[in-house]
Amino acid sequence: MTMSYASAVELKGVVKRYNEILAVDHVDLTIKAGEIFGLLGPNGSGKSTTLKMLLGLVHPDSGSVSVLGTDVQKDSVGVKQLVGYVPESPRLYEFLTGIEYLDFIGDIYGVQTAEKKNRINEYLKALQLEGREGDMINSYSEGMKQKIALISAFLHRPKLLILDEPLSALDPRSARIVKDFLQELKTQGVTTIISTHVLEIAQALCDRVGIMYQGKLLALGNMDELRQMSKLPDSGLEDIFLKLTGTGDIRAVVEELLK
Amino acid sequence: MNWKNVLSLMQVDRKSGRLIRGRKLTKYRENKFFAYWAYWVALAIGLAVGVLVSLAYTSISAGDPNLQKPFQQGTLSLFLSLPTLVLIYSLVFTMMQQIQRSGVKFSVQVPYWLPITWQEHALASILANLLGFPLASIIFIGSAILIFSIVIGQILAAVLTVLAVCTAAFMASATTEVFRIVQMRFIGAVYKSTGRAAVWVRFVGSLLFFIVFYAGYFYVTSGAGAVTFIETIASAQSTVWFIPFVWLGMTLYSFTTPGLLLQGLAFLGLSLLFIAGLFFLAVLLNRRFGLYEPPAITVSRGIYTPKTGFLGKLGFSTVEAALFRKDFKAFTRRRELMTIFIVSIVLVLVPLMQSLSQTNGTVPPQLSVYLTAVTFLLPASVIAMSLGNFMIGEEGQAVWRIYSSPISAKNLMKSKYYFIIFFSLIVLAITGIFGFLMYHPSLRATIVASFETVFLVFALGAISLSNGIKGADFTEIPRPRMIRTSWSFINLAACLLAGIAMLAPFLPYVLSSALSAFIPVSIGWSALLDPFQALAVSAIIAIVLTVIFYRVALKNAKELIAKAEV
Repeated sequence: MTMSYASAVELKGVVKRYNEILAVDHVDLTIKAGEIFGLLGPNGSGKSTTLKMLLGLVHPDSGSVSVLGTDVQKDSVGVKQLVGYVPESPRLYEFLTGIEYLDFIGDIYGVQTAEKKNRINEYLKALQLEGREGDMINSYSEGMKQKIALISAFLHRPKLLILDEPLSALDPRSARIVKDFLQELKTQGVTTIISTHVLEIAQALCDRVGIMYQGKLLALGNMDELRQMSKLPDSGLEDIFLKLTGTGDIRAVVEELLK
Repeated sequence: MNWKNVLSLMQVDRKSGRLIRGRKLTKYRENKFFAYWAYWVALAIGLAVGVLVSLAYTSISAGDPNLQKPFQQGTLSLFLSLPTLVLIYSLVFTMMQQIQRSGVKFSVQVPYWLPITWQEHALASILANLLGFPLASIIFIGSAILIFSIVIGQILAAVLTVLAVCTAAFMASATTEVFRIVQMRFIGAVYKSTGRAAVWVRFVGSLLFFIVFYAGYFYVTSGAGAVTFIETIASAQSTVWFIPFVWLGMTLYSFTTPGLLLQGLAFLGLSLLFIAGLFFLAVLLNRRFGLYEPPAITVSRGIYTPKTGFLGKLGFSTVEAALFRKDFKAFTRRRELMTIFIVSIVLVLVPLMQSLSQTNGTVPPQLSVYLTAVTFLLPASVIAMSLGNFMIGEEGQAVWRIYSSPISAKNLMKSKYYFIIFFSLIVLAITGIFGFLMYHPSLRATIVASFETVFLVFALGAISLSNGIKGADFTEIPRPRMIRTSWSFINLAACLLAGIAMLAPFLPYVLSSALSAFIPVSIGWSALLDPFQALAVSAIIAIVLTVIFYRVALKNAKELIAKAEV
């Protein structure tokens, strides 16, 4: 079944409150199909809550969330079937071996047996986990666990990838493979949303970037648009980010620490 | 040896107890007085007991002076047995403490990057092991016997006893430290990595431990065992003098018996040598294996072949079968989940040991019916109740996978519920065969007990799963909690009520059976008291309860997945 969507993700007037804290404050956002979108923001800015809302893991207090043409609140299981998700710190079933975990994931997403076998072996080989796939996950390093989490997100060939700090703990080779793989998936029409604090990765990888701050979507656009918005014509994403989020007084802080 | 380092390490070790007690790891402020309250209380109780016993002794000996000598003799026997007694229970408690610590998700890592020697580390570990009950009991014993010794004029013996008791506790703790390191090196690999072989080593090891523990417990608590225990220790020390662990007791005995001073000195020297040996062994093992990282045991090797899915043929969808298989692996590899099986063993052992201790190994027919019922009904029902309690919470922090995957509430419920039924029925099969072989029940009793257990398993499984979903606790640190305490109690009460309701139809039969020894039952009554009729009524109650609570559980599962704010 092939379906085309003009927008992969659509958030309209989304508000989410945790008691007194306004985690997401009237966010409107449209992410086009086949786009690599970076969602940035300082800690506690509402990025993770927004990402969770896309999967139906968190319900908005008001507003609507539509993913791949489906209202998340109406059919969250259907949306999850089309999405590959890697949380910030993925907790895996540590009592399973790597291969058992991926086999479990394949079954959960209904990947056919022969295809599952081929894909698992391909990914394990690409991310250099061959030879360790039969070991218990509790003996894996953080990087190896991250690789398993990434493979489990890619395994069912999702239409939308939601990746929270996807390259954390990865070795340079694996990080490059994942980055190139995401670019390749983009040409196949797969949408990717990346949340990261490594701004170089966001700048190199993303078509557009959204910067969240205190629950609001502060800025949205490609690099040129963001430079224009921040009035920093030749700057990189880091300077733009620090200026827009009002955290640019770095020099003063460093000088204070040196005293 | 830097004693300041030793003290600092002991403080760290003491504070690590917060993990075990599950204290909040943030904003923890300690009150120095209350941090040591157990020792203050032990001292107060010890002094009070010493004073009370002294008063009792004074008044008794004033009434009958002939009682003075046997009383003093008995006290001296107690003094002599104390080092070995303290050694035994210190061994038990320090080892239990280690078992408890190994259950906690993260342990205190040796700070190898700090300028601390292995001697300091080993000594701190040995001393810290004694904190808590062992130290409190030593304070209690020491204060009580010192006060009492003043009245009976045995001050020197009491002082020597206190010294011997302290040394015995150190000896026990040093032994535990040696075992801890050995365990970490040789068994730790098994515990950490949980390969196929490890599953069986751990499972069989746990079963053996509990069987031996409960058999010992029932031996000591049933009749003469407890009374003769202390006397046996006091008298048996001399016959097993070659065992180094009784050398302290022998030292004390020699010093308090006229003419055995040289023997006492010899045993004192041997004791000190043995303790020093234990300490150096602990240091050596710590140095060699203290930072040992157990390697992973590979569970599977070779070409990956996905499962074709036997469960699929039983009507499970791919998602449900995958969840079922995952849970099966969890229950055979995770230690905290494996302990659930221990419950059924204990529940079989308790009536067995009681019946054996009361009837000298032969079971009378009336008791046989009761024991058959307990052996059939209880373990499988309790397993169903426990599994329902934990089935959702056992997901732990990996529950995000359930939330973020295309798993419907129906999928989740079906896989979890049938897992409970499957495991509980396996337990029923095992305990049923055991009960049949041990108590020789009639065919009728066997059929009724088997079917009634199946009904109980279905109903209690649904009830407990509905509560388990509602009260699921995914906290994993310091240890997997799996269910909130309040919901655990609610589940216990609900299952108890349901169990009573389902077993109520058997009440007339049980009553008539119990009364038949005294009152002859008429033919009319017997017809009314057919257990098969009671079984039919119980089946109807079970079906109603199962249907209602399965629906409740399904509703709870829908809420759980919908409100997954992780």
